[in-house]
Amino acid sequence: MAVTPSHILRRLYLVAGGLFLFAGAVVFKLVNLQAAQGEKYRDLAMQRTEKLFTIAPNRGNLYSDDGSLLATSVSKYTIRFDAVTVKEETFRATVQPLAKALAAQFGKPADYYEKLLKKARTNKNRYALIARDLDYSDFLAVREFPLFELGPYKGGLIIEQRTVREHPLGKIAERSVGYERYDDNGYVTRVGLEGAFGDYLRGKEGKRLKQKIAKGQWKPIGLDNIIEPKDGYDVVSTIDINIQDIAHHALLRQLEHYKAEHGTVIVMETATGAIKAISNLGRTEEGTYYERLNYAIGESHEPGSTFKLMSLVAALEDGVVDTSTVIDTERGYWRLYDRVVRDSKHGGYGEITVSKAFEVSSNTAFAKIIHNGYKEKPQNFVNRLMEMRLHEPLGMPIKGEGVPVIRNPGDKGWSGISLAWMSHGYEVSMTPLQTLAFYNAIANGGELLRPRLIREVREWDRTVEKFDKEVLHPQICSPETVGKVQELLRKVVSEKHGTGHKLDTPFLSLAGKTGTAQKNYVGKDPEKLAYISTFAGYFPAEEPLYSCIVVVHEPDKSVGYYGADVSGPVFQSVAQKILANRPIESHLPEFTLEKPDLDEAYEGYYSLAQEKMQTLPDLRGMSGMDAVSLLENLGLEVEVRGNGKVKRQSVSKGTDISQVKRVILELS
Amino acid sequence: MRNIFRHLEGDKAIWAVTALLALFSFLPVYSASSNLVYVVGNGTTMGHLFKHALLLLLGFGIIYGIHRIPTHFFKGLSLIALPVTILLLIYTLAQGNTIEGANASRWIQLPLVGFTFQTSNLAAVVLMIYVARYLTKIREQEIKFTQSLLPLWLPVFIVIMLILPANFSTAAILFAMVLVLCFLGGYPMKYLMGIIGAGVVFLTLFVLLAKAAPGLFPNRVDTWISRVENFWDGGDTEGDYQIEKAKIAIASGGLLGNGAGKSVMKNFLPQSSSDFIYAIIIEEYGMVGGLSLMFFYMLLLFRIVVVANANPTIFGKLLVVGVGLPIVFQALINMAVAVELFPVTGQTLPLISSGGTSIWMTCLAIGIVLSASRKPLVESDGERIDEENPLEILSGQL
Repeated sequence: MAVTPSHILRRLYLVAGGLFLFAGAVVFKLVNLQAAQGEKYRDLAMQRTEKLFTIAPNRGNLYSDDGSLLATSVSKYTIRFDAVTVKEETFRATVQPLAKALAAQFGKPADYYEKLLKKARTNKNRYALIARDLDYSDFLAVREFPLFELGPYKGGLIIEQRTVREHPLGKIAERSVGYERYDDNGYVTRVGLEGAFGDYLRGKEGKRLKQKIAKGQWKPIGLDNIIEPKDGYDVVSTIDINIQDIAHHALLRQLEHYKAEHGTVIVMETATGAIKAISNLGRTEEGTYYERLNYAIGESHEPGSTFKLMSLVAALEDGVVDTSTVIDTERGYWRLYDRVVRDSKHGGYGEITVSKAFEVSSNTAFAKIIHNGYKEKPQNFVNRLMEMRLHEPLGMPIKGEGVPVIRNPGDKGWSGISLAWMSHGYEVSMTPLQTLAFYNAIANGGELLRPRLIREVREWDRTVEKFDKEVLHPQICSPETVGKVQELLRKVVSEKHGTGHKLDTPFLSLAGKTGTAQKNYVGKDPEKLAYISTFAGYFPAEEPLYSCIVVVHEPDKSVGYYGADVSGPVFQSVAQKILANRPIESHLPEFTLEKPDLDEAYEGYYSLAQEKMQTLPDLRGMSGMDAVSLLENLGLEVEVRGNGKVKRQSVSKGTDISQVKRVILELS
Repeated sequence: MRNIFRHLEGDKAIWAVTALLALFSFLPVYSASSNLVYVVGNGTTMGHLFKHALLLLLGFGIIYGIHRIPTHFFKGLSLIALPVTILLLIYTLAQGNTIEGANASRWIQLPLVGFTFQTSNLAAVVLMIYVARYLTKIREQEIKFTQSLLPLWLPVFIVIMLILPANFSTAAILFAMVLVLCFLGGYPMKYLMGIIGAGVVFLTLFVLLAKAAPGLFPNRVDTWISRVENFWDGGDTEGDYQIEKAKIAIASGGLLGNGAGKSVMKNFLPQSSSDFIYAIIIEEYGMVGGLSLMFFYMLLLFRIVVVANANPTIFGKLLVVGVGLPIVFQALINMAVAVELFPVTGQTLPLISSGGTSIWMTCLAIGIVLSASRKPLVESDGERIDEENPLEILSGQL
């Protein structure tokens, strides 16, 4: 074979050369990876390892006027159990203590939980439901239970957190509190205050870039968020919890009694337009009621007799009639073209003043007043109504405000009888809130205010925005007219013939107008014919603080349907409770109790007690109680016989105290 | 300093390259340890660093100790060590450690110290010395194939067969290195071809047997096949997970890298501190870092050639090449895997990757190369005779 060193070296150079080539190939591949394919893999790196995370802001709270929480966001925790990850011996040792702990926490029997856990184990269930939607304190407790305390990998504890909107007051004002909900397609449903003030409450999402470090584990890149999340502001609404509670329950009771389809109550502060309560109850198929739709704001309907106030104000303003003008009610039956206006009282009221026509709510009188007064120029009546801003929505921030309808002459639907029918609230349409706003304006001396649902927007204790009263119309009619109709509204309740007289009580001065509008009258089918019972007004009549409207749709006709019967009691009970809740301040005249002998006795004792005595004082005439305390303070022993004032003392006055040890007092 | 360096004999460049690589290795090992600590939940970062330092310290102890041994002593040493390593290999395999049903009997637990030891690495070094010795012995003879069968190929096949079931790549690399050494040592080419043929036939039989009777003995045949298939299959399949991550790491490294410790992919690459460390190095130190590392290995290769060139004895030359080339070859295989030039193997990057056995056996090999690079005290033509070799008698027998 004869191997020589040079032989080896030649071959070694060959091999080394081969290795250098190999190295060259590696370098080539390396450069190729970075240059040619670099873009692709760098993109892949971003895709696989970096992600922009959204940081959800905390939604602001919704408060009532007095600071009670109406809606707040809370975390709810759902606990599940991965029965596979737990070691057999651990499971066996802890399943019973765990079941016991769960039983103690949630009130189900321990063997229920034991079965649940064991079944999950047998079925290799990695996602067994233990408890749903726990609050934070329950969640903390569960986390410390046997087995679960070992965490997700050894203890199989799976925690799912979600944020829910909680309403501490429950169903009360639920619809007006509302919600803001996003569905899967990104569409938003905005309801009530939550929806209306979502821009304040929502806050802004933050963004944070995170890098993946393992499956399901992400590490934030950098110290700061790319966008800091901004928590939503708190919104303080004008809703007063007490009034809301009163309104809700008064309405509910009445709806249940009359088996009505739905109803609404709104209470508004006269001077500011702040809505203190808004309740909307709709009937379910089972006959129970819940906050279904926002009827108060959304439902525009023919108001009926409550509209007579608007007609009367217009007529008074235009000088068509005065309250003392006498109208013939024509036996309660007035034919106009082919239609007939009827009064609710058969035979009518005879010849009555405008004032009484309003109090008894005569349809024929009002039809005649408006029709005869404006038939030459119907546009004047419409213009007057529009001047009072009755044709425009109030511009509520809550979505879905109903649009009022006031037709112009010549519009589609206008006819020869329009004036007569509009006069008592048909062929026009308004929402309860719009009607209330008008009544409130009358109560407020003619100043029309926009109803307000929000008082201020706050960030912690800082006010971001304050909402004051908004004037829609400074003076809808002359002060004289206001004065006249105020008097009439009071008389509706106070006069014996008034439609609202049932509500009159000696302790409350209510003012308002009843309304009983027909609904579904087009088909002339008496079965379908239904009523809308309304009462709108304010209280106290002399210096109005609150205005209120109650509307009840489709009460059971067999039980009753008149506005005064159905809606009036709700109004009355709201007024009664609100006024009863108001503190009454009364001042009693200051007086002093004079009792000279008592003062004298006290003076005598006081002056003796102040003296540093060397000799025993004269105690006679002094009350026994005072004498004992005096002597004992001097360090003497005292024996008392009898009751009352000192008659005799065993040691006479003037004796040196150091000589005396014991004094016997005889009292009488 | 001079005093310390006076004790360090042999090729200074090899010393320098070894020291530089060892120092540099702290960076990627420390970086990769964060994955082990924070994601896998194993130990502390300081702990991993300290362990690595300890391993390297022991490694340099090995280099120092080995490089003082006269080169020709290794002839005899290999004769003693070979049977011992074969016994160790049998013991390792017999333990029957498996990873998900595949044979992973690569390690034995060292008593007392608590380290694991990968016997195949030791066996590779010992076998290379043994082959070098044999080739030296027969250099003057006209060798027949049958003559070499028992003293050369039998030990080679026993060692490789014992490594193969658990670690195909190490076995294959060792086989290739033995062939290269035989080629250098002047072993007849026609016989070498025959051996390669026999090797291929044997491997085929092994694979077929494993496929036909999967339960017969634990093996990793399925793993090899899937890795090789993944390599040839161009698309990004599920099995390309590791290599894709490695490529992402290399691509995002760019020219200068993301900076020390800033690797992202270390969290997703299994074995980021050993098998895929080159990809992590490029991600953190860029093309510049990767090419520098390549340069140092090439420098090592160059110095090995120089040492082989300078060594006066045939055994010395063959020994240097036999233990030195595998270091460079293994480094290149590791890099080739990271850049997808080669199917995924478990080969570490010598001196850089963490892992005790790999470091120590590389140190052993470097110690041997350094020993061969020392200036001989007295030179005669061919053989050194002035030094006593107590194992010469033993060496002469075979």
